[in-house]
Amino acid sequence: MLRTSLAVLAVLSLSTSLVQAQSAWTGGDDLPTSPLACDGTPATPVAKPYDGGVPTNAPDRNGKQITAVDVPKLIGIGYFDATSKGIAEAAAELGNMTATTDGPTEANIDDQITLIDNYVTKGVDGILFAANDPVAIAPVLKKALAAGINVVGYDANSEPDARQWFVNQAEFNGIAKTMIDSLAAEVGEDASFAIVTSTFTTPNQARWIAEMAAYAAACHPNLKWLETVEAQEDNILSFNQANTLINKHGDDLKGILGMTSVATPAAADAVTQAGKCGSIAVVGLATPNAMKPYVESDCVKSVVLWNPVDLGYAAAYVLRATADGTLKPGDTTVKAGKLGDLSVINGSEILLGAPFVFTKDNIGGFNF
Amino acid sequence: MTAEDAPPFRARRSGLARLFSAYGQEIVIACAILVLFAVVSTINPRFLGANNLNTIVSGNAYIAVAAIGMSMIIITGHIDVSVGALIGVLATISGTLAVSGYPIWFAWIAPVFVGMAVNAVVGVLVAYGRIPSIVVTLGMLSILRGGLVSVTGGAWINNLPPEYQLAQQRLFDIPAPVWFMILFTVLAALWMRHSAFGRSLYAIGGNAEAARAAGIPIERRTVQVFMIHGAIAGLATVLFATQLKIIQSTVPPNLELTIITASVIGGVSILGGTGTVIGSTLAAILFSTIGAAMIFINVSPYWLRAVIGLLILITVLVDMARRNREMRMARR
Repeated sequence: MLRTSLAVLAVLSLSTSLVQAQSAWTGGDDLPTSPLACDGTPATPVAKPYDGGVPTNAPDRNGKQITAVDVPKLIGIGYFDATSKGIAEAAAELGNMTATTDGPTEANIDDQITLIDNYVTKGVDGILFAANDPVAIAPVLKKALAAGINVVGYDANSEPDARQWFVNQAEFNGIAKTMIDSLAAEVGEDASFAIVTSTFTTPNQARWIAEMAAYAAACHPNLKWLETVEAQEDNILSFNQANTLINKHGDDLKGILGMTSVATPAAADAVTQAGKCGSIAVVGLATPNAMKPYVESDCVKSVVLWNPVDLGYAAAYVLRATADGTLKPGDTTVKAGKLGDLSVINGSEILLGAPFVFTKDNIGGFNF
Repeated sequence: MTAEDAPPFRARRSGLARLFSAYGQEIVIACAILVLFAVVSTINPRFLGANNLNTIVSGNAYIAVAAIGMSMIIITGHIDVSVGALIGVLATISGTLAVSGYPIWFAWIAPVFVGMAVNAVVGVLVAYGRIPSIVVTLGMLSILRGGLVSVTGGAWINNLPPEYQLAQQRLFDIPAPVWFMILFTVLAALWMRHSAFGRSLYAIGGNAEAARAAGIPIERRTVQVFMIHGAIAGLATVLFATQLKIIQSTVPPNLELTIITASVIGGVSILGGTGTVIGSTLAAILFSTIGAAMIFINVSPYWLRAVIGLLILITVLVDMARRNREMRMARR
């Protein structure tokens, strides 16, 4: 027992002596960052040759009626209901395209491959997909290209040469800009804030945090970052960590940035239960369903993500432009109806545009 | 001092020694918590703020409650790695009932009975099927986790009625989870120490053959302790599910390991037969104290894992050393 006590004391004193001074924002990665311009001028795309695939002997589909099938990761969930709603909207607007959605009932790559294979055999003009696995889906998509079918991905990419274009919902620097801009708009330019993330090594979260640090340094230099805490993908831990931040920093803490769909609602709940709504802003990445209670109670004003209806809508327009031949390798923009001109990035990807901010006015219209 | 004064004095000393030998680990953990509070509040006095104390003590309350049942299982000589997944399933059931218009009390109490039913199956397979509990509960873990994802499709429950939020209530400005944690821990500790049932669990975990020879119905007790553990998991679920305005269809990663760790660091021997539920509750509070302390003094959270890992190793080593010493003394 004595040994236990001594060891515990030794460990505790060891850890308390390790008070570290941290310079950069913790939780970010070390990769190079590319912060966007403060006024939102789109970044000049880095010239990169087209690396998508090309359909073999595709018939001339310019202006002709085409049939397309949309194969999302799975059907029956709000997110992909929203993307297929966007696709249907675009098809109705275009008038010369019929699109049906048919996906697996579970996010299962084998079922998805079988489905696509059946449509290739049956014969369609275009395939839209959101891949359950970027590598495993490649062979069946290449088979579709070889059959002369136009193939466009959205939401979840495949290997680039297995499809023609991919509609990318959001880039890291775009999300970072919207997060920091929304925070600064809510708390002011010289307020202090903290971050609740999953872990310091989760790739997407680390990328976003690194980009946010770079963007804040350039465009909101007086925002004061206090610290980043980890909360795994654990809702109660996220709640406890947010509470501890509130307890530790008191009135200095003006904002909390939530980096995951788990951390953001939990942080909002902590602020709500601490009676700090209005004095501590919560801005974060999260799905609308998770955030509705907090947005509707006016505790949270901005939830950052992308709009899946727009994502499906853009994918359908890209497929139409590809079939028409108006979107060719080497092009830098594509027209996507009400969304206007979308930029081509990374060789064969089309960027949906700035992220979408869910607010009290629009969040009720989404169910995912 | 006269000769008559000596015996009571000696008796008191031996009473203290007895207290320490019965609750040694509990005393060590309580001291660790106090030392931690003393050190951190010297660096940042806000650590002792009322809100922070509430955050620390209530933060892991659902883990402490679940660890009561887990301690009983481990004391009996078994283990349950499915309790995290079980809590996830029960939370979804409870939340679904609450939003489907069932009475709130029914949504609160349903997890207790469903938990009992699920663990009755586990208990029967372990006791009468003679399958090791780790195998049965690993299987149950997959069934529950897979079933949960298939049934809910990953959807969250987000329109819970406000009166459902039991864990957000306060009594005398102390959060409800703290009261529940104290109540259940005290009841379970008294019951484990003073009831024939509780003592039979120690007997089974300590030496199953001797327990059988003493006439303890081992199979029946095993099923019963698993069912009690299931019911307690149901109580923990209510604290877990009513803490936030939304219920996730996934559970905190490694929840079962956190619960088992609380039991083991709390002094429950992983080999069965010894330990108390007071220790596991204190250990759960120790974890949240360490977690909050690390934020208050800006220590990397990676240390939290390292510290808890070290605590496990030390606890198990001390437990082994104690057993060896007792065996040597028994032989003499």
